[in-house]
Amino acid sequence: MSMLYEIEGKQLFKDSKIPVPRFKAYTDSDSIKAFAEELNSNVMMAKGQSLSGGRGKAGLIKKVTTDEAEDYIQSILGQYHRGKPIELVMLEEPLEIEKEYYLAVMLDNTSGQYLTLASSRGGVDIEDIAENYPDEIFRKTLPILTEPFPYQFMELGKKLGFVARTLTQFTSLMTNMVNMAIKNDLTLIEINPLILTPDKKIIAADSKVVIDGNAYYRQPKIASLKSQRDRHTDLEYEADEAGISYVQLDGEIGIIAGGAGLSMATCDILEFFGSSPANFLDVGGGAGDIKIEKSLEILSNQDIKGIFINFFAGITRCDDVARGVINATKKYNIDVPVVIRLVGTNDKRGIQILDENGIKAYGEMVPAAKKIVELVKGGN
Amino acid sequence: MAILIDETTKVIVQGITGKQGNFHSKSMIDYGTKIVAGVTPGKGGQETLGIPVFDSMKEAVNDTQALASVIFIPSKFTYSAAMEAIDAGVQLLTIITEGIPVKDTARIRQKAIDNNVILVGPNCPGLITPEASKIGIIPGEICSKGNVGIVSRSGTLTYEIIQNLSMNGLGQSSCVGLGGDPIKGIGFNECLMMFEQDPQTKYIVMVGEIGGTGEQEAANLVKKEITKPVFAFIAGQTAPLGKQMGHAGAIVHGKSGTAKEKMRILAEAGIATAQTPGEIPSLIVNNL
Repeated sequence: MSMLYEIEGKQLFKDSKIPVPRFKAYTDSDSIKAFAEELNSNVMMAKGQSLSGGRGKAGLIKKVTTDEAEDYIQSILGQYHRGKPIELVMLEEPLEIEKEYYLAVMLDNTSGQYLTLASSRGGVDIEDIAENYPDEIFRKTLPILTEPFPYQFMELGKKLGFVARTLTQFTSLMTNMVNMAIKNDLTLIEINPLILTPDKKIIAADSKVVIDGNAYYRQPKIASLKSQRDRHTDLEYEADEAGISYVQLDGEIGIIAGGAGLSMATCDILEFFGSSPANFLDVGGGAGDIKIEKSLEILSNQDIKGIFINFFAGITRCDDVARGVINATKKYNIDVPVVIRLVGTNDKRGIQILDENGIKAYGEMVPAAKKIVELVKGGN
Repeated sequence: MAILIDETTKVIVQGITGKQGNFHSKSMIDYGTKIVAGVTPGKGGQETLGIPVFDSMKEAVNDTQALASVIFIPSKFTYSAAMEAIDAGVQLLTIITEGIPVKDTARIRQKAIDNNVILVGPNCPGLITPEASKIGIIPGEICSKGNVGIVSRSGTLTYEIIQNLSMNGLGQSSCVGLGGDPIKGIGFNECLMMFEQDPQTKYIVMVGEIGGTGEQEAANLVKKEITKPVFAFIAGQTAPLGKQMGHAGAIVHGKSGTAKEKMRILAEAGIATAQTPGEIPSLIVNNL
């Protein structure tokens, strides 16, 4: 599940026939001039692109004249917003606002259907609307096995106060939004705000779009967008490329485990015994020796005091794990204590391979966790 | 008795000639599972592990009358394989495959509901009834027969808990791995009800994790309908907010999805929660 930049989402909106303001990616001062000519105006919005919210408050969005644009853009490029530098700025047509709305389509985890949410109190966080005006968020669930039709959104449109031409604009926009989610494997599309202009047009003024990472293989265009690379730290990106779930944390002991639940429990138990995890790392089911080796390579690039490898192998095979560990210790400079717990499918062969290389494997998690904490604490 | 499967359950393996499918079919057969057919399109008429292979689920079901199937097929092809299984009339469908697009899973789930099919998974270890049968990849040797029912959102962490129980003389009636995806087949509540009605089960262990609301819904059910003692472990106590921890389902969205909050809600429903997986057996023993 990962988010797209606003400008990437707006391009998808455009491709899906959802009305958006005219926009352009900033490249240099010529792009500002060209966009001003396109708009036939010397006023435009400059919007710093970030995967985190709160851009407005941080001063990353501003209405500027053609003369001011370049200086403003240079002032926000490289500025850090919630831990990441701004590297991308979009130029956009300013809109006249009569009213603001909130719209969303999501693949709802509870019902397993597409769920649309709409409110005529747009422009503020949906959490705030939910808290202060819970009765003013309208919902419509759409069956997952059929395609959406405009008539299904008629009631929703009327509740929001749309009439006549704006009502049909609304029902076709909602239909296009749900189709966009289906076609692009999106788990969330949020438009906040949707703007009603004085000349009675509805336009998506912002975009928040989240794609299902499991669908990358059939959404190559989205998978290759800048946002999909930027959401990770370098090490996280490297792990992701190798099919490893890795999240950098700030503790002492690097972990490698098989299975998300066990990986989380491995992090937890280190804390329970008085140390802390330096990462979460799940090699996934059926990981071969190459993935294990890659995992150790990733950890060898992190500043850690010890490594705890914890496998209860089901679909993974312990001999593959053992081979990966042995290969990695030969290739990479691993100069911190390593403790391995290995049990499950093919464990006897795995333990034998480790034994032949002078490494002792534990059969249970608690003694192994205690040991690595002891080695890390004692080594200081 | 146990839940969902026993020694008479006939099972078809979809993807039996693949590397994972074949390896785990052998392990299931060794454990005693009645595998009666495999399906790999284009390989009909062959045999593997002494089991006949069919081109389609329809042929396999017609020939064997099996009503359970398990999918070991790459994620790109799972949607079609699952739809085929349901159309062929299976009543228990287990999907081991991980990495399936969530839209595909949502559609499989709906189709299963519409056809009264029990869907287990995806992205799950499957299920086991010790000394009788297993469907999926739970290592049989760590299980022992007994009266603890286990239902879990995790795979390997379930093994951890099973091993701890077995080593402490606490056998299991059945163990069900629900899977770690945000949208999935049956959940805690369906399994809690089955364990409640199963005479062999005396104690129920729930293994949850951060994210989602399954544990909260289970807490409500336990308060109202479950008379047997329930014990729980929740993984992800150290997970930072907003980070996705491997399982697509395991992302903490605000306070309600955290391990601490889930443990609080479970405790409120009278469920004893363990700090580490190793504590579960002593919680049960203290209850005896």
